[in-house]
Amino acid sequence: MTDVGFWHGRSGLAVPALLAAFVTYLLVGVLTMEVPEGTDFPGPRFFPIILITAGYLLAALLVLHYLRHPEPVEVGEGEGRWRTFTDWRAVAWCVGGFLVFALTIELLGWIIAAAVLFWCVARGIGSARPLFDASLALLVSSVIYLAFAQGLGLNLPAGFLGGM
Amino acid sequence: MESLSLLMEGFAGALTPMNLLWVVLGCLLGTAVGVMPGLGSSMAVALLLPMTFALEPTAAFIMFAGVYFGGLFGDSTMAILMNTPGQASAIASTFEGHRMAKDGRAPQALATAAIGAFLGGFCAAVVVVFLAPGLADFAAGFGAAEYFALALFAFVATSSIVGDSVAKGLAALVIGLGLATIGMDGISATERSTLGIPELFDGISIVTVTVAVLALGEVFHIASRVRRDPKTVAMKTSGRAWLSRAEFREAGPAWARGTAIGLPFGIIPVGGSEVPTFMAYDLERRIDRRRPRPMFGKGAIRGLAAPEAAGNATTGTAMGALLALGLPVSATAAIMLAAFQQYGLQPGPLLFDRAPDLVWSLLASFFVALVVLLIINLPFAQLWAKLLLIPAPYLYAGITVFCGLGVYALSAAQFDLYLLLLIGLVGFLLRRYDIPLAPLMIGMVLGPLAESSLREALLSSNGDYSVLVSSWIAWLLYGILAVVLVVTVRTKLRGRRATDV
Repeated sequence: MTDVGFWHGRSGLAVPALLAAFVTYLLVGVLTMEVPEGTDFPGPRFFPIILITAGYLLAALLVLHYLRHPEPVEVGEGEGRWRTFTDWRAVAWCVGGFLVFALTIELLGWIIAAAVLFWCVARGIGSARPLFDASLALLVSSVIYLAFAQGLGLNLPAGFLGGM
Repeated sequence: MESLSLLMEGFAGALTPMNLLWVVLGCLLGTAVGVMPGLGSSMAVALLLPMTFALEPTAAFIMFAGVYFGGLFGDSTMAILMNTPGQASAIASTFEGHRMAKDGRAPQALATAAIGAFLGGFCAAVVVVFLAPGLADFAAGFGAAEYFALALFAFVATSSIVGDSVAKGLAALVIGLGLATIGMDGISATERSTLGIPELFDGISIVTVTVAVLALGEVFHIASRVRRDPKTVAMKTSGRAWLSRAEFREAGPAWARGTAIGLPFGIIPVGGSEVPTFMAYDLERRIDRRRPRPMFGKGAIRGLAAPEAAGNATTGTAMGALLALGLPVSATAAIMLAAFQQYGLQPGPLLFDRAPDLVWSLLASFFVALVVLLIINLPFAQLWAKLLLIPAPYLYAGITVFCGLGVYALSAAQFDLYLLLLIGLVGFLLRRYDIPLAPLMIGMVLGPLAESSLREALLSSNGDYSVLVSSWIAWLLYGILAVVLVVTVRTKLRGRRATDV
């Protein structure tokens, strides 16, 4: 326990950081806002300014909270075997899969893009059968395409397959 | 007795073959999702939200009602068999319920829960039928200042009561309110925080936020822990789920007390049924201590009956508050409010005048949903446990694909998928650090109403803030809020001193 650094158990500071970043985004929005002439009080800036003030205040309070009460460091009972609380590899598979899906859906079409997404998430969550997963993923995305695009008439892209 | 005849017309609307199909489908879906460990009704409703735009409003809301109640039934089944509550409202049921299952009384526990949930929900539906129209009439006199008080009431109560820290709840609320301000300002037509991106001019779609926070973020959260948390195993049970006469007599008063505790909490926004279920559990434990042979800790049937009845009673009256006041008290209710808004309907006093068919069919479908749920849960609770055989990787992969499907099908814009991923990551981060998500959803849904009513009130008074407290209704709402806050603070302080569960 002696080699535990300052940041250990204090990763929760990410929350006030996120809040402050979001509120700063709103602040930039308020400062660059083009309000039409002759807008009566309270105008479009009024409500965001309340939120910005409250947001900075809460971020400060949360920083204080996480500095004073770091998360307990879990040791023993198999929990200590991992260096981080979060399984970042699994999360990266899911997030990466979704990013690829979002980037390629119009290019590759729903069937292939959704199959890639399915495959990545299944792998991230712990499936160890890549070939079976791939066929299942294609089956699922094709069934959804048939049911929702052909059946219910939803607007799903066919991608380059559509030209064949 | 006008309510009764309107309700009968509602039944006529709800019992058409198509609507009956939607109720049953909703109940099946809700129970199925509730049974899945870690998933609750809010995720089911979030995933369904984009799908319902292919349906007409009445069918959509009837299905939502089935999912909402079904989620509670399925959740308590798993709370009893596996000790894994999917939502906070089922935690109180795990204490005595899982103990009963361990003692080999799982069928009795399942029956107690299902009947309790049915009774609580049924009483709540009756209360709603008779009181909601009155409540709507009362709310018809609300002006901008009163609506602002109502929204503020919902904000403060949900963010400060649920969760361990007020600052965390309020942080989630500020994020939700902030997201709602992005886009064109409704009053002055000014662009706000859009960075000039055309897709943001109309604001961030509530569907995107809902799916991102409650479904995609949840999948990321599960992925981050699924291989590290200890595996839970469902208990094998045998025998039919039913109660003996003695057990009925034992559970009866607890069902009644639980229902009585749960009913008023549907109108007080304290973030769903977590608070009333724990209050009901606590009351039963205190009564039990005075008995000659205390049963708590050994699988007391009353310790399960009361929270189950309370949970569903709260859910039922919460639907009444949503319809009559437009006041959502939990994340699931907030999503339903968003669905109303997507159809161009505003829940609240005017809904009873403008769309009476919808309102009364929906109320009638509560009764139908509860009966359907009792039928599919009482004898078949064991069958539902078979759903656990679906391998987790495929379950969550399927849910993720549905997130993408729902959001893309609505807008056909890749931009919305990027936004979905970004807000999903925010949801994951909040979930990771135990920040409650209900305030975010309620802030997002009620934010525009709060802002426009605050500004309208101030515009009409030329910037005089005293207009916000100028009517007795506003005073009443602030008064109730103060009482709720004082009671919560007191219970929290007391809870710190005495922890003997």
